[in-house]
Amino acid sequence: MNNDSINLKVGQCAATTYTVPVGPVHPALKEPIRFSFDLDGERIVGVDIKPGFAHRGIEYMGMKRNLIQALYLSERICGICSISHPLAFTQAVENAAGIEVPPRAQYIRTIIGELERVHSHLLWAGVGAHELGFDTLLHLTWNVREKSMDLLEELTGNRVDYAIPIFSGVRRDVPAEKAHLAYEALDYYKSLLQQMIDAFLHDKSVEMRTRDVGALTYDQAIELCAVGPTARASGVKKDVRQDMPYLAYADMDIRAITPADFGTEPRGDVYDNIIVRLLEVQQSIGIIEYCLENLPSGELMSIPKVPALLAALKKASGEGIGRHEAPRGEVIHYVRLAEGVEELAVWKVKAPTYSNLMAWVPKFLGDEIADVPIIAASIDPCMCCMDRVHLADAAGNKTTRMKEELVRLSREKTRRICG
Amino acid sequence: MNVENLFASFKHALGGAYLGDRTIERTVGTIDPGKVYDLWITVERDSFHNAVAHLCTEYTPHLSVISGDDLGENVALNYHFTVGWGERYGEATFTIRTMLPKSDLSIPTITDLLAGAQTSEREKIEFYGIDVVGIPDSRNLFLPEGATIHPWRKDLEEETAKEVKRMVKWEGRNE
Repeated sequence: MNNDSINLKVGQCAATTYTVPVGPVHPALKEPIRFSFDLDGERIVGVDIKPGFAHRGIEYMGMKRNLIQALYLSERICGICSISHPLAFTQAVENAAGIEVPPRAQYIRTIIGELERVHSHLLWAGVGAHELGFDTLLHLTWNVREKSMDLLEELTGNRVDYAIPIFSGVRRDVPAEKAHLAYEALDYYKSLLQQMIDAFLHDKSVEMRTRDVGALTYDQAIELCAVGPTARASGVKKDVRQDMPYLAYADMDIRAITPADFGTEPRGDVYDNIIVRLLEVQQSIGIIEYCLENLPSGELMSIPKVPALLAALKKASGEGIGRHEAPRGEVIHYVRLAEGVEELAVWKVKAPTYSNLMAWVPKFLGDEIADVPIIAASIDPCMCCMDRVHLADAAGNKTTRMKEELVRLSREKTRRICG
Repeated sequence: MNVENLFASFKHALGGAYLGDRTIERTVGTIDPGKVYDLWITVERDSFHNAVAHLCTEYTPHLSVISGDDLGENVALNYHFTVGWGERYGEATFTIRTMLPKSDLSIPTITDLLAGAQTSEREKIEFYGIDVVGIPDSRNLFLPEGATIHPWRKDLEEETAKEVKRMVKWEGRNE
């Protein structure tokens, strides 16, 4: 064999990259998505992202309905953040129409919003643990999460889609006789928090699988307009509750949580995402406790009769912006109301994942195919349910890998690095 | 946040292309009420890129989303930025509005100034049929690959309904 043929073989080998499409995921999820990864060996050297497989045209549908019908539609944008969109939407409409919200209603909205953050972050933590192959921790986390779901059911009647906010206030009160259930749940979480922090942040295998994996720098987070824990893990102190207070958050001294609050320098990796979310559970417990202790008395709606509310909304005209810090980051709704029309003239919805889509690209680049599940999960728990993967070599030969196989790769990596 | 200074700096930078501004002041909080602001400016399309460049020079803006509004003869684009994030009560929404005539639905990209704008710009291309000049990737984002309908254009509702009907039939459903 001469040197030329050796060089040719080496050159051919180096030029071989694999394209690995991941997804689209289960169509029942909010945003099924398809990633196309370019791989050099195990290393990700390029990624293309295609969302939209379950685009339902909710804004279009909402503009064909009256405002109260559109409110219930907004609640169904996301099954996890089922109060985040109504909170932003009601604020946008109230700002446009000049409708006041009574103080008690503002506090009740805040309590439900923060309970949602608790269950969403715990859901995410469990999913993250599962993707790493740490199912004991998944079971512990989801068991703990049930308490917040039970409390939501006690307070609102539903475990999801709580139907609490309505324009001008809230539909249901938090009755005094149920307050002890909320305090019980808060005590339960306080007693478990250190255990959760130990299980996630002081575990060697979790640290080895998440430290410096899926990193997003401070500058990238700003340049790519990232939001929520994804941005805060990179040290960006951006949180709507702090920056532009609303509801009961305006009565509290809320500060954006970054890994610096845990005593570490922000690196923007998956480990830092865990830090931020766990500390935010602790923050939410404090917020709920404050709201329960200081719950103002008074009415629940400034316009309690629905026909009068619809009539007031029909008379209104103007533009309004409503924002809420959802568990995954900033939700913003923009509306334009036209006088004499029951429907919205314009409705634009922006969910946190929309802002964090582009942040995925630097997070994936340079990491390994086995890290795909945990990096995909690191920004949003709805996106981690990858149902299948097609592998194609340079010659176009395709094989199919199920999600289970990708998870298996991830778990094998955990075993490998743990010796 | 000094609202007057912010508006004045844009007026100075844009001259005659600065068409107007609006401030919505809101009171929040029940114990010690504070003020928050929604700020709006309207600029000529030809100076829109300069306006965003000025914003990026003077502040570290966050682009929340771009909304559109089909007004018949024109499509209004609202670029919903926020400025001043990072401290309590430090942030205000800052919307830059510009008007595009239906006869020439084009606007320069701002991805050269803020890469994160790409998602929202791509959405405007497909949903309004706007030509975002210079965008690095103009493929459909949310609509199916190859779809050429623009669902948020009110003058194209008939075409949209026809295409949706065709797609539903293609999927094998009855309605």
